[in-house]
Amino acid sequence: MQSVENSFRIDPSFKYEVSAQSGGETLRQCFQCGKCEATCPIERFKNQYRPAQVIRAVMLGLREFALDSPTIWLCATCYSCSERCPQGVHFTDIMRVLRNMAVEQGKINPYYKKVAEAIVQYGKTFDSPDFINEMRGDLGLPPVTSLDRQEIAKIIDEVKTLKSKENQSKKVI
Amino acid sequence: MTEKPRIGVYICHCGLNIAATVDAKAVAEFAKTLPDVVVSKDYKYTCSDPGQEMIKKDVKEQKLNRVIVAACSPRMHEPTYRKLMEQAGLNPYLFEMVNIREQSSWVHMKEPAKATQKAKELVSMAVARSRLLEPLEVKEVPALKSVLVIGGGIAGIQSALDLAEQDYKVCLVERQPTIGGHMAQLDKTFPTMDCSICIFAPKMVDVAKNPNVTLLTNSEVQEVSGVAGNFHVKVLKKARFVNEKKCVGCGVCASKCPVKTPNEFDMNLGMRKAVYIPFPQGVPAIYTIDKEHCLYFTKGVCKLCEKFCEAKAIDYEQKDQIVELDVGAVIVATGFEPFDPSTLKEFQYGKYKNVVTSLDFERLISAFGPQEGKLLRPSDGKEPHRIAFIQCVGSRDERTGNIYCSNICCMSAIKQAVLIKEKHPEYEVYIFYNDIRAFGKGFEEFYQRARDLWVTFVKGIPAELTEDPETKNLTVRVVDLVLGKMVEVDLDMVILSIGMIPPKGIADLTRILRIPRGADGFLLETHPKLRPVDTPTMGVFLAGACQGPKDIPASVAQAKAAASGVASLLSKGKIRTESSIAVVNEDFCSGCRVCVSLCKYDAIKMEEKKGKQVASVSEITCMGCGVCASACPTKSISLRHFTDQQILAQIRALAPEASNCTGKTEPIKIQEEA
Amino acid sequence: MMKYVFFQGCTTPQKENAYELSMRKVAAKLDIELVALEEQNCCGFFVDPVDHLSATVMAARDLALFDASGLNAVTPCPACYGQLNRVKKELLTNKKLYDQVNSILKRINRKFTGTSEIKHFMNVLIDEVGMEKIKASIVKPLTNLKVAPHYGCHILKPSYEINTDNPEDPQLLDSLIALTGAKVVDYGEKKLCCGQSAGGVDEELSLNLGKAKLKSIKKAGADAMVTVCPACHMQFDLVAGAKLRDLAIPVLHYTQLLGLAQGLSPNELGLGENRVSTDNVVEMIGAT
Repeated sequence: MQSVENSFRIDPSFKYEVSAQSGGETLRQCFQCGKCEATCPIERFKNQYRPAQVIRAVMLGLREFALDSPTIWLCATCYSCSERCPQGVHFTDIMRVLRNMAVEQGKINPYYKKVAEAIVQYGKTFDSPDFINEMRGDLGLPPVTSLDRQEIAKIIDEVKTLKSKENQSKKVI
Repeated sequence: MTEKPRIGVYICHCGLNIAATVDAKAVAEFAKTLPDVVVSKDYKYTCSDPGQEMIKKDVKEQKLNRVIVAACSPRMHEPTYRKLMEQAGLNPYLFEMVNIREQSSWVHMKEPAKATQKAKELVSMAVARSRLLEPLEVKEVPALKSVLVIGGGIAGIQSALDLAEQDYKVCLVERQPTIGGHMAQLDKTFPTMDCSICIFAPKMVDVAKNPNVTLLTNSEVQEVSGVAGNFHVKVLKKARFVNEKKCVGCGVCASKCPVKTPNEFDMNLGMRKAVYIPFPQGVPAIYTIDKEHCLYFTKGVCKLCEKFCEAKAIDYEQKDQIVELDVGAVIVATGFEPFDPSTLKEFQYGKYKNVVTSLDFERLISAFGPQEGKLLRPSDGKEPHRIAFIQCVGSRDERTGNIYCSNICCMSAIKQAVLIKEKHPEYEVYIFYNDIRAFGKGFEEFYQRARDLWVTFVKGIPAELTEDPETKNLTVRVVDLVLGKMVEVDLDMVILSIGMIPPKGIADLTRILRIPRGADGFLLETHPKLRPVDTPTMGVFLAGACQGPKDIPASVAQAKAAASGVASLLSKGKIRTESSIAVVNEDFCSGCRVCVSLCKYDAIKMEEKKGKQVASVSEITCMGCGVCASACPTKSISLRHFTDQQILAQIRALAPEASNCTGKTEPIKIQEEA
Repeated sequence: MMKYVFFQGCTTPQKENAYELSMRKVAAKLDIELVALEEQNCCGFFVDPVDHLSATVMAARDLALFDASGLNAVTPCPACYGQLNRVKKELLTNKKLYDQVNSILKRINRKFTGTSEIKHFMNVLIDEVGMEKIKASIVKPLTNLKVAPHYGCHILKPSYEINTDNPEDPQLLDSLIALTGAKVVDYGEKKLCCGQSAGGVDEELSLNLGKAKLKSIKKAGADAMVTVCPACHMQFDLVAGAKLRDLAIPVLHYTQLLGLAQGLSPNELGLGENRVSTDNVVEMIGAT
């Protein structure tokens, strides 16, 4: 929560939350050397995107700063930061955890929303392969493999059910 | 022991260390119920003066002939209490220490009831054993007043000097053809900015000239056997193909030698000849022929050095020698190895010529280095006006496995930056750091001085280096974390502040001396706070960077500490031997030699006795590990102070039903407290 | 004959069919059988940022398909390669998750056991076929061609999960290109990410990355560049071809380059599908 004084209030619980998610475990090792930022190809071309700054926000507990920020959707998942980090912080995975957490709060970049919805609906990133199969046929390729979308719908549904059960039990506690 | 045992049991609270978990009073009460226990008390700090006085008093007044203290680990205070026994007039081996701290209170912190029960059981085991303890003779053996110092760097040299001053005979063994180590490679030292070789050379000369010191250079320790006070050492003195007694160090041989090869002392940035001395101030000032590059050894030709040597010191036939010596103690001062940054490919070391390491840099600016002190960059010999240091290269890094901090790199970079700025204030100098660790005396002031001279410190470690293919200038991409911006910095030269790694051959040394290494690969001290220069092997001490990355003042301090440790050990001229040693019953011994093959201290030899070959244990060398006793198929070896009867008594006290040999395997029940 | 189930992914059939075509042709020349895998779904790479469990379950379904086939899987796409392997590892190291996911898969009568390996086509070429055999299949060395290799990110990183090559100094694609007789051109931005993944969020940013790469390749004087990823190919062929025309150069899938050296015709390798014209390349190597 930002106070009128333009300084941030910190929420110490945020770092534990992020660290508890699968992929977020290495968060605490960061010793602020800045090598991830120096390596990041996105930051190189867009100075506002700063991986080390995001990690700092999580460690200190600037919840909104981290989750509201449009920059978490700019990550190209190139893994360069995770590769170079001298302390083994898997930054790319932490970024993914932050994205997941933002989505849970209803914040999602429209492009990612579009693609994910398509995948969940069609089981692939694209619908009706008819014209694609035509193209492929011209090249002498077999049609795109078939897929029973029902199966995908079923398992996605199962995940939803599982999650709502977990949220319920969390609320009880 | 024909006397009836009169046992005194003391349960220590150790403040709250034991008492917070174990009910010491209850244990004392329990001990009172055991047969032969005459006195049973609990006390807050048994090892303290009043605590010890209390025990002494009880021994006298209650005529105790056995004392049991249940407290911390015997490794902490067994020696303390054994001394107390002697003061109280009892043989020190009638004392038994029970560990209810590390082995009960500390490991079972969450289960006080069970911990107390365990303490009771441990005490009852001790009482059972103490009944069977026998007084053992405390023997002393003569200890040699001589020392082996392995490693001729600043630490080894300092130790050698300190001990030689006290009239100890010192043998200083150095792997390289001259002593000096890495300190000799440095230009200046922080924070005083002393010229390194200027303050060091006098020490090197002193140690060489000291009549109590024997220098064995171009040599390596191969074998160390024996025990503190009496080590037997074998040193391989490698042939240098120059007669040490005849060579006067005039250097004519080198001037005539046609072969040029990179000089390791100059980090391969300068050249030397095949017959050489690593650096001009080298001690001893004796030349060495490098067999691998010498034309005579590789091709059978040349021999110019022999031709021109007026002292006739060249000796191509010289052979490796094994030098054997006996010493009372050993100091290991083998130093470190600089980290090779070629594995961290983002820094392009080896690919971009103008990227050098901090040690390379020392040689480049050294007055007796390949550039004779002029700061010129490797690619074109031009003056580098824009220089940057990158810190933590290879250290604090999971990727290289060296997760420790190498201690000296922050100050070393500041020193080098200050040097540059003092000579060339118009140059731009950057230090890209993760943290600045200026912890020592005068260090923070030195850091200030650097900023006064306009050295630019940037918080952020660079990730990419690129090189302009024509100019060979470098560009570094880094994020200044304070500013929050990615910046590209154009530079003429980049210096990687590399860390320290354990020296080559350290694994062999640990085997030869039977000393351990830590997780970081450096030699492990007995206790990091209170015994930083001791090793678990009595008589073997550590000094300097081989124990962990450190700077010169710390190395010197450790060297002096190690020398002091040696003197403490050897000054009386005799050392107490371990009384708890193995003893052979020659009538039972079948001469099978199993014990000989198992003894890792080489303490057992076969001897002819009563017409047969029987095993005989050296009282000096035996360390009382008990392996022979447990392996002996005829049970002819017993370990004093750990006899089968004593051990069985402990087992019976703990689990009477388990030692009945009924063949039944019943689970051992832990008695729950009511 | 080496046999793999072929996991085509989504990007390749949707936008880069020439990649699949050339891969099939090259596979045939090297005695690799690519078995069709019906029922395959998206690996879930773009679902992961939204919901990790959903993505895990989708990938697990594919992994279950591989396991059921009894064969190892090969894919042309490094993102699929990374994602599928990541999910496999997580399932095999987290018992709770393993049970949870398998109970979900049970609803559709599938089971993940983790027996199949998932490889990228480049792994198969290097580890299974081997440089020697590939060299032996070359009949028409592309000696006049100067080629810049673009590895992309997901085939190399993170090295604590992926063991294909050294991300700081990758050389394997260079070697594979050299086998074809073409000259490998080194360039400053060799390790730079193509920027495709950021394209949907910030087009200008994505183009700036593409620009930097192409500028560097142009400066190094390459005639063409080679990719091993359909997304990277899209970035430099489709996107750059449309939006960075003065910088765009012919972009070949590695399998197209190899196929040319193996004597296959440009037509057979779908070179006509490439948006940036490959006519120059075809002329330079004297193919018909």
